[in-house]
Amino acid sequence: MRKTLILVGLLAACSLAALGQGYDTMPADAHVIPIGVEGTVYEDMELGVRGGTLHIPNIEDPKAWNNHTAKETSTTWFTYRMHRGLMNLDHISGAVVPDFAKSYEISEDGLVITFHLREGINWSDGTPITADDVLFTFNDVITNEDVDCNARPGMILPDGTFPICEKVDDYTVTFTLSTIYRPILNQMTFSLMPKHKLAQYVHKLNPDVPAGTFNETWTLDMDLSELVGNGPWIVTDYQVNVSVTMERNPYYYGYDPAGTQLPYYDKIVSHIVANQDVSMLKFRNGEVDVYAMRPEDIPILLPEGPSKGFQVMVTDLAQYGTTWICPNLDIGLADGTDEEKRELYRNVEFREAIAHLLDKDTMVQNVLNGLGTAQWTGVSVPSPFYAGRDEYGGPTTENDAVWFEYDPALAASKLDALGVVDQDGDGWRDLPSGAPLTIEINANDNTIRIAYCLIIQDDLRAVGLNANFQVVDFNTLVNRLLGATGDIIQLGLTGGDEPNSGKNVYTSCGNLHAYRYSACEDPDEVDLRIDELMDLGANTFDLDEAFDYYKEYQILLAHQLGYIYLCQPTFLYTYYDYVGNAFMASPTSTPGGNNGLLTELCFDKRL
Amino acid sequence: MLTYMVRRVLYMIPLLLIVSLIAFSLIKLMPGDYLTVARMNPMLTAESLQEQIERFGLDKPFLVQYWYWLKNVVRGDFGTSFGTRMPVFKTLFFGNRLTWTILIAATTLILTWFLAIPIGVYSATHQYKPSDHVVTFFGFLGLSIPNFFFALVILWMLVVIFRVGEYGLGVGGLLDSRFFDQPFSWAKFCNYMWHLWPIWVVIGTAGMASLIRLMRGNLLDTLSLPYVQTARSKGLRESVVIYKHAVRNAINPLVTVFGLQLPGLVGGSIVTAIVLNIPTVGRAYWSALQQQDEPVIMGGLLFFSLFLLIGNVIADFLLAWVDPRIRYD
Repeated sequence: MRKTLILVGLLAACSLAALGQGYDTMPADAHVIPIGVEGTVYEDMELGVRGGTLHIPNIEDPKAWNNHTAKETSTTWFTYRMHRGLMNLDHISGAVVPDFAKSYEISEDGLVITFHLREGINWSDGTPITADDVLFTFNDVITNEDVDCNARPGMILPDGTFPICEKVDDYTVTFTLSTIYRPILNQMTFSLMPKHKLAQYVHKLNPDVPAGTFNETWTLDMDLSELVGNGPWIVTDYQVNVSVTMERNPYYYGYDPAGTQLPYYDKIVSHIVANQDVSMLKFRNGEVDVYAMRPEDIPILLPEGPSKGFQVMVTDLAQYGTTWICPNLDIGLADGTDEEKRELYRNVEFREAIAHLLDKDTMVQNVLNGLGTAQWTGVSVPSPFYAGRDEYGGPTTENDAVWFEYDPALAASKLDALGVVDQDGDGWRDLPSGAPLTIEINANDNTIRIAYCLIIQDDLRAVGLNANFQVVDFNTLVNRLLGATGDIIQLGLTGGDEPNSGKNVYTSCGNLHAYRYSACEDPDEVDLRIDELMDLGANTFDLDEAFDYYKEYQILLAHQLGYIYLCQPTFLYTYYDYVGNAFMASPTSTPGGNNGLLTELCFDKRL
Repeated sequence: MLTYMVRRVLYMIPLLLIVSLIAFSLIKLMPGDYLTVARMNPMLTAESLQEQIERFGLDKPFLVQYWYWLKNVVRGDFGTSFGTRMPVFKTLFFGNRLTWTILIAATTLILTWFLAIPIGVYSATHQYKPSDHVVTFFGFLGLSIPNFFFALVILWMLVVIFRVGEYGLGVGGLLDSRFFDQPFSWAKFCNYMWHLWPIWVVIGTAGMASLIRLMRGNLLDTLSLPYVQTARSKGLRESVVIYKHAVRNAINPLVTVFGLQLPGLVGGSIVTAIVLNIPTVGRAYWSALQQQDEPVIMGGLLFFSLFLLIGNVIADFLLAWVDPRIRYD
């Protein structure tokens, strides 16, 4: 027993030593989050108390602890909570706001951005954070070709160069751009990494280690007490396939207006539960405090909530991302076949007919159990740049939305006008030349996507279009889409707040411009204007001006009907009543930002 | 016998080589690769994608990739996981995966065999009696219910019908979270047991059902043989006839089954492990398959093949041991 107590004591001491002791008093440059302050987006939140453990389910294990080489959200869910950047997405509004930088200014010519760092702030092991850490992260990790870094593509300016990052003093850095490029502010959310811990693994700084060493640094088998971050949490324990425990970073710089250091909870235990049915059972069993519901869970959870003391949150805000069908406007181009079908697909009147055959209401009702919204543009609804708003960040009005209402009669008449009529009396419409017209719709083995496609197939067939739906393997589907060998493909893309992140998708030479890759060589007027608008939106720091460009681009895109949008589920989540401030946040994503559950602002009301 | 065993072990080398080539070809025949999902990332430029393709060596021809892989394997280097950036076997066995896999599978196997053999014998010696019908019914039930579904039903019953959460008990996994950072104690041991029993029941019943049926059938065949009649007519006690003469002969085919179950020790019950949240090697392998993490898939396949071959050799050993008539040249 004595030995055990000594062991526990030693472990606790080691843990404290690894995490440091924390600040004696609130640092002058602390980041005060206006929780409960009227007139701010946080006004409905409550001030919390410290203590307790928050239990959250996660589907997959992390793959590593290295944020900059991470490729999957199962890893970044943890690493984003360990590291913060100069800027951050505001959790609620979705705007990009200073975070580790206390402020920033842009030079008059728009080419130099100066960040002023918070002074007196430490890494989780007590080492001060300075401009050297910013320079190390940007110059030696992100833009270092030896590092397989995911943040690098986003840092490339339109002319192919990187911003030049320089130190002015210990707490001031500048980024000099070769051209005005507003989306770079979003990229300034890149996670800061501790130079004193990681410089030794970068070949460029330490030639004794082989090239590529950084990519194999901070892997799962590392000694966790070596992990250092500046975010609210630090991973302290990992049980493979079972759980990840994160403890409060004693040197986190976030405070509430009452001077209480955040996070409120002492710990987060993330339970790795690979099966969602089991995840829901664990929530119902009280083992986890929050749960990201599926539409089919609602009939079970809704009646149980009042007696078990949990809230079922059903918002009307669509989740980030897009879901669409993509007609291949280059069908047969590579091998010189399907010329007539290609011409038909390229005719916007035909695509309008298809758009009028998409019964989005039925999709929402039957597939998403009524918990979804129809989409019409490539920018996610929660984005402040969404064209369904009247101004940047304003309320959603859908005043300028481009809807192609479900109208089979109108679709049929459009097809008739195009000469797509049944010429041989077999009940199916033919191409104007009389050749048979068959349409193959493909999706991968995903319940929701299959259900969408079956509805689409039925509606196309109802007007005499010989549509056949086939499920194909996900990789085959992607190959068909990106190789322009498919017919009509149903898939989706992730999305965020910044429209420029869709540049690869919507500009004519983008590598995901899958509806017509030939637009790169042979752009039409709309393609050219979209390319121009994307550049204009990126080349101004004036958000209202950028909003106007992006609005025009979204409206053009909607009329172009390259990707024809379907529906997106709304945010759904549940949480026990005792989790304070959880009403503002979903466990997987937040309605206004993409940082996930606001774990540092939640607290245990039972304490 | 020794020559035979040495020969068997040497045969394993070309066999593993052929297995590796077939496995490598199958992986390459699958559509897409490790970067397929990344290709759908709107933020990834064509240049960055190409950089990654080259980094992972996915731009090289099939045979060149296989040759590099084989050359490294001969040197003892099975490669690094694309996903975890750790060596292949570390990725597969990381944490206590291998220990838990073997521990759970071995205890389940022992439990299954200890229960299935006597039940099979009982069922055969009570043929067509109500007790035989009951055993047969449950045998078929165990065979027919998919493991993952059975696991879900057990968890659902514990949560919804028995409301174990109100008594502070969790479901799935190996331990309740309150014990995660606790030193080993009686309470912690009991909590392990609480979490292990559904695993034993789910994995055990499926294996047990087939073993019961197999034992019953074999014993019934043996009991009808003339030497059993002779033993009985000599006036031997029924228990001696059954256990000393009949069961010993009837158990031979089951020994082969035992050998074949060995690879299942490390790779089996993947879906059950996912539903019941158990850290196993199979789960790590499944994750690699989903991501097309080629080095891990290859390493895992070789590892499971090796176990299958070893299981066969052990089965041969055991067969010679239980049946003195069998001799290998």
